Amino acid sequence: MDQHKGASAGAGATIKKSKTQAFEPDVVIVGSGAGGGMAAYVLTRAGIKVLILEAGRDYDPVSEAAMFQWNHDAPLCGAGTPDKAFGFYDATVNGGWDVPGEPYTNAPGSVFRWWRPRMLGGRTNHWGRHVPRFGPYDFKAKSRDGLGVDWPFAYEDIAPYYDKTEKLIGVAGANAGLENHPDSSPGILLPPSRPRATELMIKAGANALGIPCVPSRYAILTKPIDDPHAPRQACFYATPCGRGCGIGAAFQSTTSLIPMAMGTGKARIITNAMVSRVVMGPSGKAEGVEYYDKDGATHLVKARVVILAASACETARLLLNSKDGGLANSSGQVGRNLMDTTGTNVTGHIPALENRPRYNEDGMEQGHLYIPWWLYQEQAAGKLDFPRGYHYEIGGRFSQPGPGLGMGGMEDGYGAKLKEDARRYYGAQLSFTVRGEMIPNKDSYCEIDPEVKDKNGIPVLRFHWKWSDHEIRQIAHGMETAKQIIERLGGHVVGGPLPPPEQAIAVGGWIIHEVGAARMGAVAADSVTNQFGKTWDVDNLVIADGGVFPSNAHKNPTLTIMAVAWRSMDNLAERMRRGEV
Amino acid sequence: MSTISRRETLAWVSAAFASPYVAAIPEPAFAQEAGSLWKEVPVQPSTAPGYGTDPNLLKPSTPWPLTLTPEQREALRIAADLMLPADDHSPSGAALNLDAFIDEWVSAPYPDQQRDRWLILSGLAWLDAESNARFHHAWAAASDSERRAVFDDIAFKGKVKPGYGRPGFFFQRLRGLMLGGFYSRPEGMKDIGYIGNTPMQSYPGPSDEALTHLNTALAQMGIKPVA
Repeated sequence: MDQHKGASAGAGATIKKSKTQAFEPDVVIVGSGAGGGMAAYVLTRAGIKVLILEAGRDYDPVSEAAMFQWNHDAPLCGAGTPDKAFGFYDATVNGGWDVPGEPYTNAPGSVFRWWRPRMLGGRTNHWGRHVPRFGPYDFKAKSRDGLGVDWPFAYEDIAPYYDKTEKLIGVAGANAGLENHPDSSPGILLPPSRPRATELMIKAGANALGIPCVPSRYAILTKPIDDPHAPRQACFYATPCGRGCGIGAAFQSTTSLIPMAMGTGKARIITNAMVSRVVMGPSGKAEGVEYYDKDGATHLVKARVVILAASACETARLLLNSKDGGLANSSGQVGRNLMDTTGTNVTGHIPALENRPRYNEDGMEQGHLYIPWWLYQEQAAGKLDFPRGYHYEIGGRFSQPGPGLGMGGMEDGYGAKLKEDARRYYGAQLSFTVRGEMIPNKDSYCEIDPEVKDKNGIPVLRFHWKWSDHEIRQIAHGMETAKQIIERLGGHVVGGPLPPPEQAIAVGGWIIHEVGAARMGAVAADSVTNQFGKTWDVDNLVIADGGVFPSNAHKNPTLTIMAVAWRSMDNLAERMRRGEV
Repeated sequence: MSTISRRETLAWVSAAFASPYVAAIPEPAFAQEAGSLWKEVPVQPSTAPGYGTDPNLLKPSTPWPLTLTPEQREALRIAADLMLPADDHSPSGAALNLDAFIDEWVSAPYPDQQRDRWLILSGLAWLDAESNARFHHAWAAASDSERRAVFDDIAFKGKVKPGYGRPGFFFQRLRGLMLGGFYSRPEGMKDIGYIGNTPMQSYPGPSDEALTHLNTALAQMGIKPVA
């Protein structure tokens, strides 16, 4: 592995940039998204001084988010392009599937896509904000079915942190009392929003087949949160959350965790700081990190503790680039066990919804109801041919027309009849988005590409990817069951017969739930960190992002990233207080 | 300067199939269509600027120049009026400037739009060729009934005239673009009944009328309503 060159500046460079008097951080945090934001929030409250390094530019959703802008005012009616893959108004800055000047590669035969923004707050600025909890089974999945590995702690250990995290970020939802879908403690959840007619229809159809459909949990405020540094308003039920939320209703690091940390006076941020490696001191401890500024000059930041929260793959890249053979990699697990969520979509056209009465269906943007996994007992009894579950995020509504109208494949002909049909079929489709658990496998991992480097000369990641039969069969079940619900409601699947699951399953990385590339575990032999994210090999190096996930339940990972980060930071703060680190 | 070859076009199609960018329809395989007047119009790769990865979202602007000729714009206006004619609910496609929307679309430097550029330019050329062959004048000079005769051959699912597969594919894409451009405009949204993008104190859920409609439908399916 090449060591990229660059003269290291002293910590003075950072002091100058932060426009303050000397600020000597106790801890340097790489990344400002869910994990990094939470680390900064928790540590500053413990009186610890943190310096946050963010690879992207400064970003302020209050002044920059395009709320209420119409599709017809945007180039191409707001359509996604390689410059803005999720549409013109999507919050993502300088990123997407490709980041200019920062490539990654796929090994022959592998397809993995890696979504990265380059902005303060990272992906929390545009994420879906669906925040189901992992349940007791999810932390001990291997103990149930023998596959993958268990987490080094149990649900009971993290439950208080789920409560605290939900209270802090604000979660609208309801306790459903379902198996392995834990309830929150009383007083934690905010009221859910009323379901749309389409969602009530799916619920009725699903229930008729014995399938549950319950209020979803979203990190969106239905009541305001009063905070002197991060006041947040309640949702006003308009304009898509993915554009960023200038009123702070939809949770993002930039309107809550970051300003709350800054409000303590204990935090500083340097943006446009692309960290290239962890710098080790002579005693086997991390001394700090090296970063490139936007002009390509390198700087060294020193601190007592280094926290990596750069995102699962970027954190693995940092570790692998910090030392021949990889830093904190005595287990050989850095970069391994990479997981995403499985995904596919099934849309149904429902004749009974044609020409239905119009009303405002914007709501909280996302589905107010969802279908959680419901076949745990059948799986335990060996009645299914795949071991892990999935959920459906459901949809169907009168949405603001964009570059495509969405007539569910019913468009035909031209003229007066086409206009009649547009009215008839608008809002007459139901969608079922399958999101399932992937089990880690030996063929899915990332490593350093031996040749390719980014614009700063930092070696890039090369991805290897393969779904196993576990995921393929699960997707087949998810598609078939969605079809049954659609047909029970008198509809048909849009697009003809269901495709084979091998074709229907989204490519690796596509769901943007990549986790696991620096997993935690009970013993050093088969994991990178202990149960608190502390790397086994380096006492003052802690990982606070999704890299630490030993398994990836079908439940969207961000809430768990934050809850686990909070627990890890409590442990770190205590170790620092005792002078152990 | 090279033109975009058929092979590259097909490469875009397969790339688009795995992409989240706007709903590009995967192009079906066409057999050689004997006697078809369809010709692929050579398309130069665009060197125009895109809006970049960090555009001002509050003041959207389109940096690339429009590229269609006045004749192509006129052909699109004619097609837009046929596609979406004025009625009691909304103006016509041409009145909503769909020709300008499609010009912006096919002039954009991005892969999906460049693929559509090839398809739309080839399709507009075909409309002229077909009109000339059948009526001895160009598309713009054709009568309403002549234009309808051409559209009738390519516009209907499962009823595309044999040998007209490629023009039929062009029509499908043109219709998709026109529907999006039309109904995303204020007049189109009003027509179709989109009510939203406006702040509310609380979300009321479905109207009584919408609930009644739903529960009636569920009752007819023998399904117990949930609200």
